[in-house]
Amino acid sequence: MPSRSPVGVIHQATAGIRRSALRRQLQSVAAGKSTALSIDLDQAGVDVGEAIEEITNRLPMESMPVQRLVFAFKRSGTADRVVERLAAKSPQQRARSARVVGALQLTEAVSWLAALLGSRDRAVSDAAARALGKIGGARSATALVLAIQRRGLNRRLVAELARAAPDLFVEVALTEPQRPAVRPALAIAAGLRRRQTAVGPLIGLLERGSRRERVIGCRALGWIGSGTAVPIITRALGDRDWKIRMSAAKALGALRAQSAKDDLKYLQIDRNARVRKAAAQALYRLRPR
Amino acid sequence: MRPRARPGGWDGPAPGRPVLTAGEHRDAPRRPDRPWPSFHDMVSRLSTLESAAVFFSLPEATLRALARRLRRIKVSAGDMIVFQGEPGDTIFIIERGRCRMVVEKPPSIVTVALLSEGDFFGEGATLLNRPQQASVYAQTDCYLLALDRQALHTTMAGREHPALDELRQVADQRFRAFADTSVQATWGLLLQEATVVGVYSPKGGSGGTCISLNLVGALARRYPGEVLLLDLDFPYSHSALLAGLVPTSCLARMSSVPQGSFEEVLLSAVLYHPKGPMILPGALRPEEADEITPELITKAISVLRKSFSYIVVDLGVTITDSTLALFDLTQHVVVVTAPELSAVKSAADAIDILVQLGTPHDRLSVVLNNRSFKPAVTKSAVERSLKRDIDVQIQFDGSRPEQAAVDGVILSITNPRSEIAKGCEALAALLDSKHGRQRGPKPAAAPAGGESVLAGVGEAD
Repeated sequence: MPSRSPVGVIHQATAGIRRSALRRQLQSVAAGKSTALSIDLDQAGVDVGEAIEEITNRLPMESMPVQRLVFAFKRSGTADRVVERLAAKSPQQRARSARVVGALQLTEAVSWLAALLGSRDRAVSDAAARALGKIGGARSATALVLAIQRRGLNRRLVAELARAAPDLFVEVALTEPQRPAVRPALAIAAGLRRRQTAVGPLIGLLERGSRRERVIGCRALGWIGSGTAVPIITRALGDRDWKIRMSAAKALGALRAQSAKDDLKYLQIDRNARVRKAAAQALYRLRPR
Repeated sequence: MRPRARPGGWDGPAPGRPVLTAGEHRDAPRRPDRPWPSFHDMVSRLSTLESAAVFFSLPEATLRALARRLRRIKVSAGDMIVFQGEPGDTIFIIERGRCRMVVEKPPSIVTVALLSEGDFFGEGATLLNRPQQASVYAQTDCYLLALDRQALHTTMAGREHPALDELRQVADQRFRAFADTSVQATWGLLLQEATVVGVYSPKGGSGGTCISLNLVGALARRYPGEVLLLDLDFPYSHSALLAGLVPTSCLARMSSVPQGSFEEVLLSAVLYHPKGPMILPGALRPEEADEITPELITKAISVLRKSFSYIVVDLGVTITDSTLALFDLTQHVVVVTAPELSAVKSAADAIDILVQLGTPHDRLSVVLNNRSFKPAVTKSAVERSLKRDIDVQIQFDGSRPEQAAVDGVILSITNPRSEIAKGCEALAALLDSKHGRQRGPKPAAAPAGGESVLAGVGEAD
């Protein structure tokens, strides 16, 4: 254990006390025991966003604890200060404010968060993407799609798009004309959401999409676990492109498609080693248990 | 290829509002959401929202705010819109087209509703955080307006709680209705056709609607899920409201439904009360009452008779072509009167008309509803004026009926000791004795013999 200076220990202890006080204050507001809120957003060693997330984690925006917190933040003026700090000079302040906004699910800050998605500071753009994912809704999802258009296929943006998109948002976007990077991102988001309603658009993508779209479309159908897609994925095993064959083999393994067993066996002698490996793995998943 | 990162940074001051620096301003849009809808688009969205039963009563400002936040989605025929068992966060309002709502219970698939313009779905998952209870498919090419949870709460939270509560109520109502798929499955399977009972009150304020509703409640205790109240008390039909239900469709809207899907659409408009009775509103708005024609009533009754044991029709005050058509279809007519001079006079005239129309005396019952503690006209005086005996007398029940209306409960179900409940129970027993419907399980609280209760009620005066 590295030795610590007494000053460092005191600082750490002070920060711990502040965190604890903040947590108690937030818990009392969320429980409805108090409506007064007095928060210093600049306290050293205290992450307000994290403290709120602890309370609001997985709670919908219309739930009473979240509503009470939002009301207290708005009434005390802290919500306005948080939104203002989304345009602060310091990237740390912007990122922290984005976390608070996300934890409180403040829909009115969506436009400002959307602008932060273009920040060159990765911590800021990631925090903004996470906040938009938590807030959700069509406006947040549109902002994330626009960011994907600008920045290309980005893992964080796609994951948050999957979380933020309302029903049929991704499905409709998949069938509309899109820039090259967007449709694969939408296909991944559709797969991550695991909604049966996306099966139709993904099959369409598999039939008419570009090479990259077909590869991702196969995997997404596998994640969704749609049995109706098995015949078309099985057909993709005979594609000339090795990436599509590999992706189809992985999808069939995920779908546990017994009907494709013979085709997968045939793929074990494929000229591409990665396809052979994917086929072997898929057959392993199909083994009787 | 990955696009290159934009030049410029976040160097600008923060004078209260977020300000983007010049370099970033080009690429990062200030308003990332889609542009505001055009004037004609807004008009179309507003008219669709207004045609949805739950939204049309909202203030215009809220309606406009909601309309701005709607997403228009085109769905091709046969496409799945909502999948049973999946989570959901969007209410879909049908702008154009027709959708089929099905509950999949392997090995069978039950169509629980056929939805058309102005209908909406997805509210259960959105507001109650429950998985989708039914799958919805587009039956024709559809245009849907999607309202997601965030938009709904941003627009309505804190301002329009009653509307949100009403939506939750609709969601809960539908949840219960679909959960009881066994009731849906029995539709059309009953061997006997329904007895149609018309409740006619020639003088407004005599309590016709209250008695219809409580009669349905009393009958539903005997035949759960087999009794329907058809509310034709125009221009303002409030039976659903009095029962604490929120109507989403009505008989008037069936006038434009094609013959092939009429039965499904009609049955999907029926509201299901958790305690057993079902209600089909005649019209949701006064102007819709014009859509109710004798042909529509005849068609609807012929469909409904296959699906229920009793159909109680609240006929309201005025005698129209539709009312006359319904008198032809009824097996029993209940005339409701109050012990007031004008009400008794109107009842005497109405009974004369009914007799002239060929209603047999034994298929006509008179109910005397005492609306005050000490009525000015006695029972014997009423009987003298009507030249016939009173079949059922309902004693003054204080403020209970009004309170029940406020609470949205049916007294014959919730409070069998109330005077209204006793009277309606007696009336139900009378109907049962005349129309021979003795196959349902009798509730414990139900009186043992209809005749003795009738006599008791009759003699109470």
